Amino acid sequence: MNDASIVEAILFASDAPLAAGDIVRADEALDEDRVEAALTALRDEYDRSGRAFELRLVADGYQLITRPEFAPYLERFDTVPRTSRLSGPALEALAIVAYRQPISRVEVEYIRGVNSTGVIRTLLDRGLIEAVGRGEGVGRPVLYGTTGRFMEHFGFASLDDLPRPDELPVVLRDGTPLEGEADAEG
Amino acid sequence: MILERDGSRDPGTIEDGLLVVETERFHGPLDLLLHLIRTQDIDIFDIPIARITRQFLTAIEEMHDGDVDEAGEFLEMAATLVRIKARMLLPGPADDEDHDPRAELVRRLLEYEQIREIASRLRSAEDDRGRRFGKGFVQPRSRPPLMDAPLTVTWEDVFAAALAIEAPVEREREHRVETRPVSMREKVDLIVAAVTQRRRIEFAKLIAPWKERIHGVMTFLAGLELGRRRVVTLRQTEPFSPLWIYRGPNAGIGSADPSADEEALR
Repeated sequence: MNDASIVEAILFASDAPLAAGDIVRADEALDEDRVEAALTALRDEYDRSGRAFELRLVADGYQLITRPEFAPYLERFDTVPRTSRLSGPALEALAIVAYRQPISRVEVEYIRGVNSTGVIRTLLDRGLIEAVGRGEGVGRPVLYGTTGRFMEHFGFASLDDLPRPDELPVVLRDGTPLEGEADAEG
Repeated sequence: MILERDGSRDPGTIEDGLLVVETERFHGPLDLLLHLIRTQDIDIFDIPIARITRQFLTAIEEMHDGDVDEAGEFLEMAATLVRIKARMLLPGPADDEDHDPRAELVRRLLEYEQIREIASRLRSAEDDRGRRFGKGFVQPRSRPPLMDAPLTVTWEDVFAAALAIEAPVEREREHRVETRPVSMREKVDLIVAAVTQRRRIEFAKLIAPWKERIHGVMTFLAGLELGRRRVVTLRQTEPFSPLWIYRGPNAGIGSADPSADEEALR
């Protein structure tokens, strides 16, 4: 039984992304390096043999997902509710949270120039952002940050997948995305 | 003339300095302001405040029945524009870059424009992700609930039913029918005996020996009671199809406890 087959069996049986650290539990002989090597071997094999699915790193975990060109066939099966697209205002607010986290609602509203109570509520309800702490100042406002669900929703492996300011047509002097995820302060 | 922001982003056409904008299409005053600036090829670092303020005010006058919050946000921006315009008219160190009254507005506009760009990249990522599926997307088709199954009757069925009707038998007046009481206990034993011998029995077979309806009723009730105690399992593939009684997981337990049966009789 080679490593790649073991890892493949685990990924096949899982319906959520699995980190290499999770996959290691399958066998005492495995360690993270061997799992990573097996994952690379699997990814190459799927790509080379043109499988309908591929191995993707999503939200810090690996998952087998179908390639986009098969979407038209899969979409005929409407038995599972599809994750609905976010509204324009919700995407704007989410973009602000992603780049400026941790950030309070009032700051989001200043950047957008409009009341954002509703869209923040929507983003919280959908689990795309969460309260990560409280800020200084009057009323110690709740600060928000993005979640693992956010990563999954957009298919990002990590926050590094967000477009960098120097790739954008408009460059801001202090517009760097924050590295890593903000830690919750309870 | 209507300008549509979400459309192909046509550059706005300005006739006689009049600019009509559909404000509902904008996500807020910054969005509208950016639209005015970008569609007229205005240098964002040298915004002609007087002209932009006039266009902005004209645009928000066109706002119909928008909600109060939203109108307030547009009015607040209008006030900011008017204040900037007033400051620029005042004598002062206006040439000094740091004291340009427009500086904060320009910073906000650029920041907002960047956010809008990021939002559109997020939209592309979202669309791309939406075309990829993990396990569990396709699920087996659920069976339609029994209630929805249509009752189909053909003319032949009706005709056969009509033929099956027999002329009522003239009753003898003096004759009195004494029905032998049918107990559920008796029917419980009948069913248990049947499913002990074989794995399953059709309901119709159990009631075949008797003509009186009460036997059917009591057998059915006994079947339900045994089904409840899981001594038997009742199965019917579709409405009006034969009802089958199967030996259940608790077979041999319920019948050994007569008191429980007495309970059920009450």
